[in-house]
Amino acid sequence: METMILSANLDALAQISLFIADAAEYVGLDDRTTWQIQLAVDEAATNIIQYAYDPDCPGHITLSWQRNDNAFTVTLQDTGRGFDPDEVPPPDLLSPLEERQVGGLGIYLMTRLMDEVHFHFDPQYGNVLTMVKYLTVDETDDTAVLPINGRLDASNVALINKEAQKIIERGVRYLIIDLCNVYFMSSSGLRILLIIRKELMTLGGELHLACLQPHVHEVFELTGFTQVFTIHPSVDAARHALRNQHK
Amino acid sequence: MEIAYRHFSRVDLLAVSGRVDAASAPDLWRAIEQLFQEGRYRIVLDLAHLNHISSAGLRVLIDGRKRARDWKLTDLEGGDIRIANMPPRIREVFNLTGLTDLFEIYPDVTEAVGSF
Repeated sequence: METMILSANLDALAQISLFIADAAEYVGLDDRTTWQIQLAVDEAATNIIQYAYDPDCPGHITLSWQRNDNAFTVTLQDTGRGFDPDEVPPPDLLSPLEERQVGGLGIYLMTRLMDEVHFHFDPQYGNVLTMVKYLTVDETDDTAVLPINGRLDASNVALINKEAQKIIERGVRYLIIDLCNVYFMSSSGLRILLIIRKELMTLGGELHLACLQPHVHEVFELTGFTQVFTIHPSVDAARHALRNQHK
Repeated sequence: MEIAYRHFSRVDLLAVSGRVDAASAPDLWRAIEQLFQEGRYRIVLDLAHLNHISSAGLRVLIDGRKRARDWKLTDLEGGDIRIANMPPRIREVFNLTGLTDLFEIYPDVTEAVGSF
């Protein structure tokens, strides 16, 4: 466990990020987990600096981390204004650009990047924010391949979606759909791929497509979907790309 | 955060590197707004060396793109902020916050600049 006390101003954010990077290196976290914790802590500290204290009267933030069994815990404590996360409106993740509201993203990111986020007010210590990242998830369980045979159209989209949902429920966030043996794709097939992609993205994951046959590739080009999907020449190439990305 | 400028005849390229957090986001906003004030609304952001972006930076990108798209040269041609070279971590933040589909994202600068 280690603790750092900082004066609450925005210039401290870079230093906070380094403090977390050092801690993560010390306990041996991978780069992606380190980055997730850094971003969550950055958002938390920003909230304290901007909203808990008055700008002309900044106080302190006490930042500490702890590693126990299978979790990495970060605590931020301040003596500023109390904070009720329930008062923050839920973020707008779906509106088109013109109507997109930008509030609430910071807290939303904290809850998506960490496994537990707790706010607590203590009369003696002030506001205490505890964020926990579980370290048990095996990276290999994070990725799965779903092969499809023959066609992807109205006749089997429901079935394919069901298969995909089962895989996602199991905790998979990076899904590779293997289209090597698909020779026909209809608009309902494209639609279900878009739905699965969106669902994985909001869970912090990604959909990757592999091995499109020439006819299917043509459908993707005509509809502009080659820009939307991440497409790899083979399943192996997709796995390789994901492994590099996870490093 | 560091910003490197490059002016093309029709497009301006801003290479943003390092950290865009709540401390540096206002500088990014000023750099974009400076271009708007010069009447330049076609902007490509090269994010190849961006290591970190927090919600403060995302807000700048959303507000910036809204402003750029309000500008119209003709019915068919207008302003935009487009992105090139998105690193995987930055893409993950975009995915989580539902921003991926709100921006035109290109694999490299040549394609992004050429898209205007």
